[in-house]
Amino acid sequence: MKTCDPIELELFKNVFVAVSEEMGAVLGRTALSPNIKERKDYSCSLFNDRGETLAQGSYIPVHLGAMPLSVQAALRAVAFEPGDLVILNDPYRGGTHLPDITCISPVFLGTRLSFFVANRAHHADVGGMTPGSMPLATELFQEGVIIPPLKLYSRGRMNREVFDLLLSNVRTPDERRGDLLAQVAANEVGRSRLTEAVARFGASKVRLYSRLIQDYTERFLRVTLKAIPDGSYAFRDSLDNDGISDRPIEIAVRVTVRGDRALVDFGGSSPQTAGGVNANLAVTTSAVLYVFRALVEEDIPFNTGLMRPLEIVAPPGSIVNADFPAACAGGNVETSQRIVDVLLGAMSKALPARIPAASQGTMNNVAFGGRDPRRNRAFAYYETIGGGMGAGPGRDGLSGVHTHMTNSLNTPVEALENYLPLTIRSYRLRKGSGGKGRSRGGDGLVREYEFHVPAALTIMSERRRYAPYGLRGGSPGARGRNILLSRGRRTVLGSKVNILLRTGDILRIETPGGGGSGRPKSRR
Amino acid sequence: MERRDPKNAVRAGIDTGGTFTDFVIWSAEGLINHKVLSTPHDPSEAIFRGLGDVSRVEQGVFIVHGTTVATNALLEGKGGRIALITTAGFEDVLAIGRQTRRELYCLRPEDRFELIPPGLRFGVRERTLYTGRIEKTVDRNEVLRVIGRIRKAGVEAVAVCLLHSYVNPRNEEVVARELERAGLMASVSSRLLPEHREYERMSTTSVNAYLMPVMDRYLNELGRRLGRSDLRIMQSNEGYIAPARARREPIKTALSGPAGGVVGARMLAMAAGMPNVISFDMGGTSTDVSLIEGRIRRTHETRIGDFPVRLPIIDIHSVGAGGGSIAYADRGGSLRVGPQSAGADPGPACYGLGDLPTVTDANLCLGRLDADFFLGGRMRIFPERSRAAVGALARRIGKSVRETALGIVAVANANMEKAIRVISVERGHDPRRFALFPFGGAGGMHAVEMAAHLGMPAIIVPRNAGVLSAFGLLMADPVKDHAKSLMKAGDRISVAELEKEFRGLEEESRRDMAEDGFAAKDLILERSLDCRYLGQSYEIDVPYRRAATARRAFLEAFHSRHKKLYSYRHDGRPVEIVNLRVKAVAVTPKVPLVRERGSGAMDPRAVTGRQPIVYGSSVCRGAVIDRSRLRPGNILRGPTLIIDPESTTFLPPGYAARVDGYANLIIRKAARR
Repeated sequence: MKTCDPIELELFKNVFVAVSEEMGAVLGRTALSPNIKERKDYSCSLFNDRGETLAQGSYIPVHLGAMPLSVQAALRAVAFEPGDLVILNDPYRGGTHLPDITCISPVFLGTRLSFFVANRAHHADVGGMTPGSMPLATELFQEGVIIPPLKLYSRGRMNREVFDLLLSNVRTPDERRGDLLAQVAANEVGRSRLTEAVARFGASKVRLYSRLIQDYTERFLRVTLKAIPDGSYAFRDSLDNDGISDRPIEIAVRVTVRGDRALVDFGGSSPQTAGGVNANLAVTTSAVLYVFRALVEEDIPFNTGLMRPLEIVAPPGSIVNADFPAACAGGNVETSQRIVDVLLGAMSKALPARIPAASQGTMNNVAFGGRDPRRNRAFAYYETIGGGMGAGPGRDGLSGVHTHMTNSLNTPVEALENYLPLTIRSYRLRKGSGGKGRSRGGDGLVREYEFHVPAALTIMSERRRYAPYGLRGGSPGARGRNILLSRGRRTVLGSKVNILLRTGDILRIETPGGGGSGRPKSRR
Repeated sequence: MERRDPKNAVRAGIDTGGTFTDFVIWSAEGLINHKVLSTPHDPSEAIFRGLGDVSRVEQGVFIVHGTTVATNALLEGKGGRIALITTAGFEDVLAIGRQTRRELYCLRPEDRFELIPPGLRFGVRERTLYTGRIEKTVDRNEVLRVIGRIRKAGVEAVAVCLLHSYVNPRNEEVVARELERAGLMASVSSRLLPEHREYERMSTTSVNAYLMPVMDRYLNELGRRLGRSDLRIMQSNEGYIAPARARREPIKTALSGPAGGVVGARMLAMAAGMPNVISFDMGGTSTDVSLIEGRIRRTHETRIGDFPVRLPIIDIHSVGAGGGSIAYADRGGSLRVGPQSAGADPGPACYGLGDLPTVTDANLCLGRLDADFFLGGRMRIFPERSRAAVGALARRIGKSVRETALGIVAVANANMEKAIRVISVERGHDPRRFALFPFGGAGGMHAVEMAAHLGMPAIIVPRNAGVLSAFGLLMADPVKDHAKSLMKAGDRISVAELEKEFRGLEEESRRDMAEDGFAAKDLILERSLDCRYLGQSYEIDVPYRRAATARRAFLEAFHSRHKKLYSYRHDGRPVEIVNLRVKAVAVTPKVPLVRERGSGAMDPRAVTGRQPIVYGSSVCRGAVIDRSRLRPGNILRGPTLIIDPESTTFLPPGYAARVDGYANLIIRKAARR
């Protein structure tokens, strides 16, 4: 077996990461919807012929663990030929939730299928019960159009029928078409960059280092795990509800560290539920990988090597490994955050001096749509809102940022108002919402929307009932609030709602603060 | 006042750098280069001293100055005490930014530098809508109350950024007038950057306010020292401005020095007959690259430190790789180089203070530096310390010293090649159509190998590569940019309307230039449009020409550039015109570049010695050449080291260098013999 050369390893790392970053640059610059072009809600990666990730140019951690499962699902479903491009979004066949559409292109060296490039982007609407496709549904079929792995392009030719079927099932087909073309362009760039690298270094070298780069990442995690005291660490926390019934939903985890390995067991978590907060295994895997990747302090490529020292046990039919056809729009965006919270809570017992208090623990998903008479068109819009970051030992949490499983940007107020029939009345920090402590949790945000036309609104949010925890004696962060001001009446809405707004209504979202760290009295 | 024909017959380009302040001076006696140590506590001191060394300051000199005062103040957090006035309800936009964190996988909250603390961010109740309609007029009394509080807080400058002021600046102007009436320095968003996206505009405007007091103090000090001299300040947009404007808009000088380098590179590349070059400025801790395609390419999307700055700036991409970058083996067994740098203190191991191996140490181990003639022999270095430092790393990764040194260079090259790919491939340019143009002390040691990897056919190593920025300053013209947000679909606007808008902007340009003493007949005005497909968020700039077919021409230019950049075009989709831009250049008299004829015969004294040089898997003996003795027409073959006091060029086996009429080295693959 050929051994790893430290110099070549560094050179190939550079190549793989650069390919995925170039893909990301193209996708962001050519997409049409604010969620992709402004908020960068997408990821691009490179895979070997078995669908194992080599490197990921990413803005969004929740896509990470999930993408290889997409490529693997596609590999099972279709016979790849040169020039093909496969798309999918089915959460039970390689996807996470329906709005995330993944495009996968094979890279052939000669006649041999050698690599894949793929990107995943969150589309602002994929049909379903409500505009923005984040409905309070009870089964997958209500959440939007389901795309199993199928060829959008065969041998370089677009399959118009597939395109037409897809676009007939969404509210804003024109925007979807533009975004999909941007995704296609990104893969095209990835494919040609990778082919250039092969021309320079030779196919066998590139293949060799596509394996060695995974070993490399794996070594870092093993060294990190070794430094964690052996033991078994448990934690549990709850989701507010599933939006259908008001019952809290528990997520329990026990992390057992032995030497350079860890077992992550979600036994004892609540069963899957009617409402759309179910996470599939891909989402749960992403959350686990995120936490362990974050424990590694160095800057390393994100790839499948991270999986190898970890074993994940997620009971089938539970909230962290739901069965078809459970609704799952919120699993990706909300439940994933709570999975991170319980994992970090468990790790805080192993590494009390390193782990921060809970961050806002939600993405505050706001989706709405309707008809804009002024621009004479339908609109569907989706965004998420940042909040407070949990305080670390000796460090205050940041205010008004996205934490853990997402890092999507806000849409500028001036861009939003140019695009939609609404006025943003305020966008500011929610003073005092961070948990008190020796180090303070970051403050949440306040965002106020005034609607100029009737609109269907869905809010999928969390931490409205159970606050983000503090650590080491720090106070929890303030819970979030969703408030509707309609014709002089003020109503506090639930964590998850689906309502019709009238012209002139004002929606105020107050996002949670981060937990504090250390006893408040000891703050200097 | 600026005059077209400067009264001062002596002209100077002066570039303040971290370590040295460089001078290129032109007078009746010709061109003189000079270098003195910088004086970071007060950069004007080094300028005064250096200028005094080589010219009679009291008689007055026409100076174009590249300064780091603005950038340093921002990076070191040493700007003025400032306040912000914005629309009520949006006081925190500057702090929130785009609601993202820098590091995705970091459990430790990152450090943030707060430009304006919460207590100095003031909201006023007013609102302009996206259409430009004013929903609520700003209340003068409220503004006066805020100004009262601002004065009490001891604030030096105030940034003003109200929502949608780029379409209708009326409310913003009311606030600005009251500030000016109160005698406060004001940085006003609709004047500085009339473009949409509130955070980026607010950031640009606030950073500008933050730098105003600093630039003001610096220019006072410099003016006092320079007496009768005529001073101009280089901007990041490739042209210079008068000091009064630099005081108002200091943000525009942020990349002043590097901009000089790119202007100089373009000038020399054009003279050498190779208008398409990628400039490559390799310093101690970082490397700046920029693409020149006959003209200098610009961008509107830069960050300086943590802050986005949306002004037209030369598109310079920077990476943390340089001669001082430290090499180490990471925990996963990969050889990493940088971004940590040994800087100038302790510096590379061979300086005798530190013991960590750097890129410079690797070059020394490979025989690609002349130990006896470092910085023209002014500085003593210790090659044995380089060998010890690289040797220690070699043992850790189980390789020989030579392999390790080659590896350090290869990894550093890969990092720098990536930067070149960003400004070429990612912007739709094929690097194989460009020559590489290295300058700075270390660029010439790496350029040939990098060019080979990128498929670039030639390398131009300029004469005086060590003072190129100062040379570029001497060669710069005044440049002013004017822009206007339009946001209209291309098919909804007539050629006549566009023409009218452009004429308005050009009128503004002429007025501005006339203020600085330039006649309309000496101006070159360039029109361009920022376009995108309706619905996209990022624009592509395309030239707009006055011809009758102009309209179709810009649309076609947009489609084809989109295709080139992003691999597809969307002919059916409406094209939106986001901004109109006019760039005005005042053509000023230049220092003539003199082309010398060469004899071809080489001065035998040019060869000062021979030394072993490692290249690939072999060691060859190469000549060491004193560059100052080379004459036009001379041809050198690798392996060779070509040394001048500020820089070293490594010519590997298989490559040949020709000295052109301007004393540049033109390097290409040698024809087989």
